[in-house]
Amino acid sequence: MKTKKDVQSGTLALMVLKTLDVLGPQHGYGIARRIEQISGDKLFVNQGTLYPVLLRLEQEGAVESDWGSSENNRRARFYRLTRAGHKLLEAEKRDWEQTTAIITRFFEVKAEDLA
Amino acid sequence: MKTLNRFLIRMRNLVTGRRGDQRLREEFEDYVAREAEANIQAGMSEEGARRHARMKLGAQEAIREQYHAEEGFPLLECLVQDTRFSLRQMRRSPGFTLVIVLTMALGIAATTTMFTVVYSTLLRNLPYPQSERIVAIHDTRIAGRSAGGLMTGPRFYDIEARNRSFSSLAIFYFDESTLIAGKKLPTYVRGAGANAGFWGVFDTAPMLGRVFDARDDVPHGPQTVVLSYPGWQRLFGGNPNIIGEQVKLDQQTATIVGVMPQGFSAPGGVDLWHAAQLTPDSWGNDRGDGERAYSVFGRLRLGVTVAQAQADLDRIGEQLRREYPSSDGAWRFTSETLREDRYGPVQSALVVLLIASALLLLIACINVANLLLSRATTRQREVALRRALGASGRRVAFQLFVESVLLALAGGVTGIVLAFVLTRIAATSLPGTLGQPGTIHMDGIVIGVALLISVATGIVFGVVPVLEARKVQLLSALKQGGTRLGGSSGNWLRSVLVGVQVGLSLVLLVGASLLAESLWNLMKQPLGFEPEHLLTVRVLLPWNTKPEAVRNFYNDVQQRIQNLPGVEAAGQISAPPMTDFHVRGSFNADWLPQVANQSAISAENRNIAGNLLMAIGTPLLAGREFSAADQVSTVPPFLVNEALVREFLPKGNPIGHHLLLDGQAHEIVGVVADVRGVSGTIAAEPGPAVYWPANANGGWHRYFLVRTKVPPEQLAQSIREQVHQSDPMQSVGEIGTMEQLLGDAVAQPRLNAALVALFAGVALLLACSGIYGVVSYLAAQRTQEIGVRMALGARRGDITRLFVLRAMVPAAIGLGTGTVVSLAANRLLRSQLYGVQPDDLRLYLASLLVLLVPLLAATLMPAIRAGKTEPMKALRAE
Repeated sequence: MKTKKDVQSGTLALMVLKTLDVLGPQHGYGIARRIEQISGDKLFVNQGTLYPVLLRLEQEGAVESDWGSSENNRRARFYRLTRAGHKLLEAEKRDWEQTTAIITRFFEVKAEDLA
Repeated sequence: MKTLNRFLIRMRNLVTGRRGDQRLREEFEDYVAREAEANIQAGMSEEGARRHARMKLGAQEAIREQYHAEEGFPLLECLVQDTRFSLRQMRRSPGFTLVIVLTMALGIAATTTMFTVVYSTLLRNLPYPQSERIVAIHDTRIAGRSAGGLMTGPRFYDIEARNRSFSSLAIFYFDESTLIAGKKLPTYVRGAGANAGFWGVFDTAPMLGRVFDARDDVPHGPQTVVLSYPGWQRLFGGNPNIIGEQVKLDQQTATIVGVMPQGFSAPGGVDLWHAAQLTPDSWGNDRGDGERAYSVFGRLRLGVTVAQAQADLDRIGEQLRREYPSSDGAWRFTSETLREDRYGPVQSALVVLLIASALLLLIACINVANLLLSRATTRQREVALRRALGASGRRVAFQLFVESVLLALAGGVTGIVLAFVLTRIAATSLPGTLGQPGTIHMDGIVIGVALLISVATGIVFGVVPVLEARKVQLLSALKQGGTRLGGSSGNWLRSVLVGVQVGLSLVLLVGASLLAESLWNLMKQPLGFEPEHLLTVRVLLPWNTKPEAVRNFYNDVQQRIQNLPGVEAAGQISAPPMTDFHVRGSFNADWLPQVANQSAISAENRNIAGNLLMAIGTPLLAGREFSAADQVSTVPPFLVNEALVREFLPKGNPIGHHLLLDGQAHEIVGVVADVRGVSGTIAAEPGPAVYWPANANGGWHRYFLVRTKVPPEQLAQSIREQVHQSDPMQSVGEIGTMEQLLGDAVAQPRLNAALVALFAGVALLLACSGIYGVVSYLAAQRTQEIGVRMALGARRGDITRLFVLRAMVPAAIGLGTGTVVSLAANRLLRSQLYGVQPDDLRLYLASLLVLLVPLLAATLMPAIRAGKTEPMKALRAE
């Protein structure tokens, strides 16, 4: 556990959106697990951050949620991406790709390139 | 959009108190169950699996808090919490709360009431459409005494014909008439004769019926009457079917065509308006002093400024001076806005009172700050405890702010309620133009400003305890016992506050004593008559009654009144002192050189008859009174007053000299004492006056002045009966006492003095309680120190002196500063003062003494008590 990093707060929303995009409706536990899984168990999702983020996304209209029963018949709250959520994800994704591209360029640049 | 949506959801949560707590708990359960399942699959025991799962979830409380922060407004919730806590605190010390709330309420009530008056008169738009375009046009003598701005009719029509600035022009005059409606008894009414343009200037729709127009306003046309709201109520009991009813107004038939709405008071105090039916020819060639009875207002054309209109008036005035040098040469037109015309005379008094009330508020706030400060020091332990338990400094400060703002708001709301009551009283009982119905009322803006001021003072004066709380040293505050907690922190601040308070009280006190001295000077002026036991009775014939009938009627009434038991003397005069009545005449004199087109003397004219001088108590200084023969003479003799003699014939004997008027020589047969208040204001020095025999002059305008041996009010009914017996068609107008008139004349200065004195008294009380509080607090704080000092040999006197010094040094500094501020500030009062200079040293010394005595007492009481401390007891408390 010590080697795992907490997810940076700004990026958690993006991860949640993408996870829901890929997996379809999912409950809180599943989302957390999946994020940890995808990160190769390098990330740790704090539930104390996850639930408020889910609530905020819901207030913003990016996700919807309601109660449903899961595979093993337990009552759980399922979160689902809305149309607005899809759009938001697209926008965030573009933003993120742009940012990483810029940062990458900064890392790759060498002194002679600038001469 | 997103943010707004979230805000709305949060708002809804806050209002409905909806919480996702249940949902979160279920999510937790779901999480733990799944995690535990996974753990069991990984080979853990069931119990271990659940425990691990819970640990992985983390602190549920913390999560819940974050979740809530997302749901609602954490700051608002803090506010709600703190408010609840503060309310509990306030309930726990009701005495403290009450003192603070009352002190604040006093300050806010005084300031709000004064502000309401100022706002209603000097700031808010007058209740006419585009009232800023209404201008009062006065006729002013270029040098010497004017006639209260009143104009002659011909000059008004000259303005109407020549001006380029006004879209309509109003001319009106006050008159008093007898109204007979149906079978009712004749009633005295106050009216205004107005032209059709009057309604264009004030531009207010009638509540019922119509106003009169140019068709009604033609000479000898059928008379039309518009009632004022109060007149409608008083004369017709608010009968809605009054339109079209015929009445007798001064024995002429008139039709009621309209009723004006409640707030319409142009001019105030009239029961009705009737068409004046004047034309430019109504006065013949007469443009002189005797015809100045008309008030003139104009509505500016669109785009014309007040200054442009004045320039226009100057141009017309210049033309008239050239065209009619003998009558118009000495006059010019002046103008001011309607607001200036109405409230200009009271403006400076109002500003002074507003400042005085603001000072009172400041003193009240300082007291509150002092109290809060004392309590903050005793609450240091609580603050320290809360800090130790993890509350941030900002959080504690926020809590203290909430507390002081709540206190201030409670005080503010109480104050506003109080001010509301005071305003209601003020609206009807203020003197003069201020007390006219509909003038003064509170509205949302005033209440908003008052609330804002309360909250602002709550914040400003809450800063002090907050600053103190920030200085709390956690460890020492928690370690030490209760009594020593205070330390010396905040004491210097307290001293400064006491100093400021005492200084401000001095400013108020000096102001009050200056105003009181002026009032005293004003009241003790020799009036030139004796107001006690003097009844004034208004009796008025229609203006066109024949001179013969006038003479017979008044002589008959004179006889009847004289014969009433309890009457000592009775006389008649066209206007008694203290009434705002202007009739002036221009005379030449046989002892002065005569210049063409320029009269030598301009004097107030009064017509008298009966036994006037004896009735009013004005001494005859030389010569004789009018005889019965004088009252029927065609070229009657005159009496003149001292002022005329002093100004125009200082060395010679006036008796036997003549005043010349229209080529006729009127002999001066007597000199009477100067009478104050001839043109309404008691403060003005009496100017020249000429008394005519009323019956010879044909004046139909009379008051009876009746000197009585019994309380004057007792005679009112029998006088009414006598007048009615003499002529059943006549009404008797206002019957009052001269003392009432006199009281009205000094009402404004009296009110100023009373209010400022009240403010000063309250300020003094607050300053005393402030200083008392500080000294008691100091003494309580330093009980042990006193014990030690006494154990070491200090005597009681030493201890007392110590505390007196501690309080009196800042007080003395405050007094010094207050004196300087007073010297500067009381210049504002100059226009309100009469017979006293704003830097009158006597009054400063007196105020200092008045302030020092109770202050010393307030200091000495707790200081002596401190001196009486038993050293052993004090030390044992350690």
